Amino acid sequence: MTSSGKIVSLDAALSVVQNGMTLGIGGWIFHGQPMALVRGLIRKGVRDLTLVPAPGSIAPDMLIGAGCVTTTACVFISFEHLGLAPNFRRAVQSGAIKVLEMDGPGIAGGLRAGACDLPYGLIPDLGTDLPRVNPEGYRRARTQDGDRPLLEVPAIKPDVVFLHGQQADQEGNVQYFGASYFDLLMAQAAKHVICLVDRIVPSSAVRQSARLTKIPSAFVNAVVVSPFGAHPGASSGLYEQDEAHLAAYVAASRDQATFDAYIASHVRDTAGEDGYQDRIGARTLAQLSGGEAGR
Amino acid sequence: MPIATSDAAMGEMLAVLLARDMADGERAIVGTNSDIQVAACNLARQRHAPHLWWVSGPGGMTNASEGIIRPAADAENIAVAEAVMDLPQMIDFIDWQVHFFDFAILGALQTDRFGNINTVCIGDHARPKLRGPGTVGISALCGLSHRFYIMMTRHDRSAFVPKVDFVCGAGFLDGGTSRTDRGLPEGGPKLVVTPLGVFDFEPANKAMRVKSLHDGVTLDEVRDNTGFDLLVPETLQHTVPPTAEELFTLRRLVDSTGVLARKFPWPTSRHAANSKGVR
Repeated sequence: MTSSGKIVSLDAALSVVQNGMTLGIGGWIFHGQPMALVRGLIRKGVRDLTLVPAPGSIAPDMLIGAGCVTTTACVFISFEHLGLAPNFRRAVQSGAIKVLEMDGPGIAGGLRAGACDLPYGLIPDLGTDLPRVNPEGYRRARTQDGDRPLLEVPAIKPDVVFLHGQQADQEGNVQYFGASYFDLLMAQAAKHVICLVDRIVPSSAVRQSARLTKIPSAFVNAVVVSPFGAHPGASSGLYEQDEAHLAAYVAASRDQATFDAYIASHVRDTAGEDGYQDRIGARTLAQLSGGEAGR
Repeated sequence: MPIATSDAAMGEMLAVLLARDMADGERAIVGTNSDIQVAACNLARQRHAPHLWWVSGPGGMTNASEGIIRPAADAENIAVAEAVMDLPQMIDFIDWQVHFFDFAILGALQTDRFGNINTVCIGDHARPKLRGPGTVGISALCGLSHRFYIMMTRHDRSAFVPKVDFVCGAGFLDGGTSRTDRGLPEGGPKLVVTPLGVFDFEPANKAMRVKSLHDGVTLDEVRDNTGFDLLVPETLQHTVPPTAEELFTLRRLVDSTGVLARKFPWPTSRHAANSKGVR
């Protein structure tokens, strides 16, 4: 059987990402953060990105801290019980990056419009301050008497999106063992879709569990395989988030100098993802895969 | 693990207070970082509201229950759920539909006299003193649910301010009829639960009002820790502490590994007072 050619190296996949592009990031908080792609982008030295992250944590935070970003949409960027997103927080408070403030309806309506080739989506006006601080992102819509107040949100069509699933086949069908959040909607809205997976499985394995295929191959331009590629975030059913590493990341992010040292030791000076896995250590990675036994 | 009937931890107390107000057959939603919310819903289902329906906002799992509190987005919930929905379908009833949810339970960096919610920033948005995580579904849940609860794990003047610096979830806006005048559906905050007490909103002017104080808490202490004048009813009520049966059910059937006690202890200044009252 001939290969679809969609499974490519990290470097080959990232060759499409250029300075100044709009980059969508899938997942949800500590789940499905496409970290191997994020680390690859930092090694590549891409700059001036506009980010459109689904509610996330370390993926947008690391790109912002590493200086790859000039503007980011913010629906929700948080380290939950580990605190506020440290580099995002510092960059916004110092004025280093611009924030396009968004909410759930804004990104949902914008992505849907993008996926449907409509100029904008219609969402309810919920009485918030969002239109005040992001007037281009929330425009008052014309309504008829008796309608509730509505807003127009412009279509979101990222140049590239980064997603993370658990496994894919040679065709590029991407399977999820847990929730897939906004990932399919992002793939539908984007011009180019790069999916990171922890492993490649035979087509027969995908067919046995077709309900797990959340991103069918027609929506996928490239698949990058990198075991533990979502570390220090979680990969549903395969490994848990690395709480100790995330806490150490937050601590290292207390100022730019200490964060730069983290990026040097964990991203720039590692020989790609192999070097990153060596840096984290087999024992740590094994424990994260150990389920109840790993705790 | 022995089931102690001694003191309730703060997280357990908040879960019990929220669960008591939920009714059978209601529809609810919880977010990602929602241990207390999940516990409250499952406690209500175990006691008086067996047909309460709740869904994990991001993960799509409904009525996930196995006696262990897990993060609501985790895949482990799938095996103990009744259904698993995909977010791109769920957004129809989360972000657009009016009154699909009976209630949501929301935390905040700041809340104010009229129960508006801020999780975006402290200070000016363009150059904030503190940048918060953002709005996510809070705007829609505050705007579109029949009612919502505000759950604060701290009660001080930085959290209870006269007017929030950024409205990302509309409470009663400027009070009175301003919420519905603005075109929002009927709704708004019903109760605020904190380590110090339970608060509601005066029906006409919609200003926050003391409903009950937890044992050992004085009105002066609440006033000292609230950045605006609370309405105070003529007779002050005491919060009914969690009963032995409520705590037994919570610890045996809902949170059997003690997540709430571990993650949400009382603030140290309050512990002495509360440990007297909730046996």
